[in-house]
Amino acid sequence: MSHARITRRRLLGAMGAAGALAVLPSCKGRNNQPGGGAGGRIKIGLVVPQSGVYAPLGTDMKHAWELWLERHGGKLGTFEVTTVIADEGESPQTGVPAIQKLLQSDQVDAIVGVVSSAVALGAASLVAEAKKLLVIANAGAADITGAKRSPYVWRTSFTNAQIASVMGKHLAGQADIGPVYLIAPDYAAGAEVIRGFKSTFEAGGGKIAGEARPPLGKTQDYQPFLTGIQSSGARAAFCFFAGAEAVAFVKQYEQFGLSKQIALYGSGFLTEGSVLPAQGDAAIGIQTVLHYSTELDNPANKAFAAAWQARFNTQPAVYAVQMWDTASVLDRALGSTTALDGDHLFKALGSVGTIGDSPRGPWSFDNQSPRQRMYLRKVEKRGTAYVNAVVADLGETAPVT
Amino acid sequence: MPAWFDNHLISLLNGLAIGSLLFILAVGLSLIFGMMDVLNLAHGVLFLAGAYAAWWVAGESPSWPGFLAALAVAGAVGALAGIGLSLMVERLRHRSHLAQAQLTLGLTLIAADILSVVFGNDVHTINPPPGLDGSVMLLGKAYPVYRLALIGLGALLASAVHLIVERTSLGALIRATVADRQMVAAVGVDARKVKAAVFAVGALLATVAGVLGAPVYGARPGLDGTVLLLALVVVVIGGLGSVRGAVVGALVIGEIDTLGRSLLSDLASFVLFGALAVVLILRPRGLFGAASGART
Repeated sequence: MSHARITRRRLLGAMGAAGALAVLPSCKGRNNQPGGGAGGRIKIGLVVPQSGVYAPLGTDMKHAWELWLERHGGKLGTFEVTTVIADEGESPQTGVPAIQKLLQSDQVDAIVGVVSSAVALGAASLVAEAKKLLVIANAGAADITGAKRSPYVWRTSFTNAQIASVMGKHLAGQADIGPVYLIAPDYAAGAEVIRGFKSTFEAGGGKIAGEARPPLGKTQDYQPFLTGIQSSGARAAFCFFAGAEAVAFVKQYEQFGLSKQIALYGSGFLTEGSVLPAQGDAAIGIQTVLHYSTELDNPANKAFAAAWQARFNTQPAVYAVQMWDTASVLDRALGSTTALDGDHLFKALGSVGTIGDSPRGPWSFDNQSPRQRMYLRKVEKRGTAYVNAVVADLGETAPVT
Repeated sequence: MPAWFDNHLISLLNGLAIGSLLFILAVGLSLIFGMMDVLNLAHGVLFLAGAYAAWWVAGESPSWPGFLAALAVAGAVGALAGIGLSLMVERLRHRSHLAQAQLTLGLTLIAADILSVVFGNDVHTINPPPGLDGSVMLLGKAYPVYRLALIGLGALLASAVHLIVERTSLGALIRATVADRQMVAAVGVDARKVKAAVFAVGALLATVAGVLGAPVYGARPGLDGTVLLLALVVVVIGGLGSVRGAVVGALVIGEIDTLGRSLLSDLASFVLFGALAVVLILRPRGLFGAASGART
């Protein structure tokens, strides 16, 4: 017992020291200031999940960051890049300390990554205090660039409601759609998606058949909810699931015979990346909305997908594109800035204009989050592989917060 | 009204299927805890190891030989792991449950990380073997055949375990070891062997449940914690060390998780642990806690 106590006291001491470090000015005497406009160094903290349920997304994002640097001589703008990787884990309990460590002991100049919205919101005050730039490459909560906006936090991904509201508008415009059932996990992002979908779907005259909120991470079996969908009289269902839940939901939707009667629609994460081969035939015919598909027919995407295929022998997913674009906007910003502190960097980011060479098609920052095209996609089987074929371009959309 | 009835009849049936799977998972935990007085928190990771074994041995669309081979491999892995666990906890015999929990939880964390290194972090799905991979129409609704098979298998295993523990000389030996270790040793039986055997069987049931559960739950990081929690809830509701308790606990949880969520869809997040709280308040030792002679 006494041994345990000493350890705990030491731990507390270490935490106190870490707290003291936080108030020390962190920008004095750095040797990585740009020298004469070229040839400086920049230290970037890459925060992605390397363990836990989001680890596959983290791997995609890490690969995309490495691939971008490989193909651009290891430089962002004129700066030689040093990357420090930290494990975000799956919750703020792991993600926020990871970011704190990057800021304090690794003294990074900027941070990129962050899959979880809770981590992004938890880290916002840390980066604002340290006056460092944080570029979010996934987390989709509206608040990050909405109600709790900080000039130091930018996003290259999407907002949850941005995707859902486009789907709502699209479905409301379908003459034969019939009543739609909504289902999303019982947590903040699920609620944002449902709200976003309803706002445009109901405004367009659509009818909601019912709504369900399965417990997040505690639902292995969707049968009770599937029965609810069947008995609601819905003609279509709109859902928001990702990762293991997306696989389980899509498989069971088919096993319980719903896929033949009630068309399934979703936010694109439902069938994106590594979950699609796991869903297999059960996913065929599902239509989703997302700001990317591997099947997009533009030169930037063709080059990107070919490079990805050559390097990793898989098809790239949206998570990779978001990180690729994060590197791309930083590259632009670092072409014009004179210093690496957050204030200079966010001003430079504000003037990057339209990113014309993104695999997702042209996009630009609008209140620190992408204004971008949304695509309607449908899962098809090509040979032995499954793809999200692009059915329609649903036009440019501002971030919905 | 008939539609209402049909809907809930499907949920009721599905509760039986999930309950059967939970029984196969939880009975091992209950036996090891109730009879050997060891809290084995590594039970969930054994299930996950079984699920990965199914994917690794049999692939995504297993043939019957592949699926049976996966069951055999998982069973062997489980039995060996069980013997290993029993040797490790034997050294903690005179310590508290907390020490056992720490040991087995530590092993869980290590094993789960190893599984994630070996098999990656992607979600793997496994289809049921041929003949069980379709759906049948029941009351005008499609229902997966594999889940019907699970109900049959669960009933079979429940009867087998019950008969072995309550009606055979082997079962008598197990119960005797729990009741009076010294006396069993005095008549010439090595109590450590009995303990290792029960551990092996309990762990084997967990890995076998992993293979059988793979077509329903898949194989993915984090599944170990989810199923361990469900198994603990089953054991707490059913009562420790009682096969009958494990059956009833598993069916109750199966039904609550399906029929309960279907009837009270607004409270879906709460019904499972709400039910657990109710049982703990009304019957703190579980529904069949006193039925077994396992505890003193």
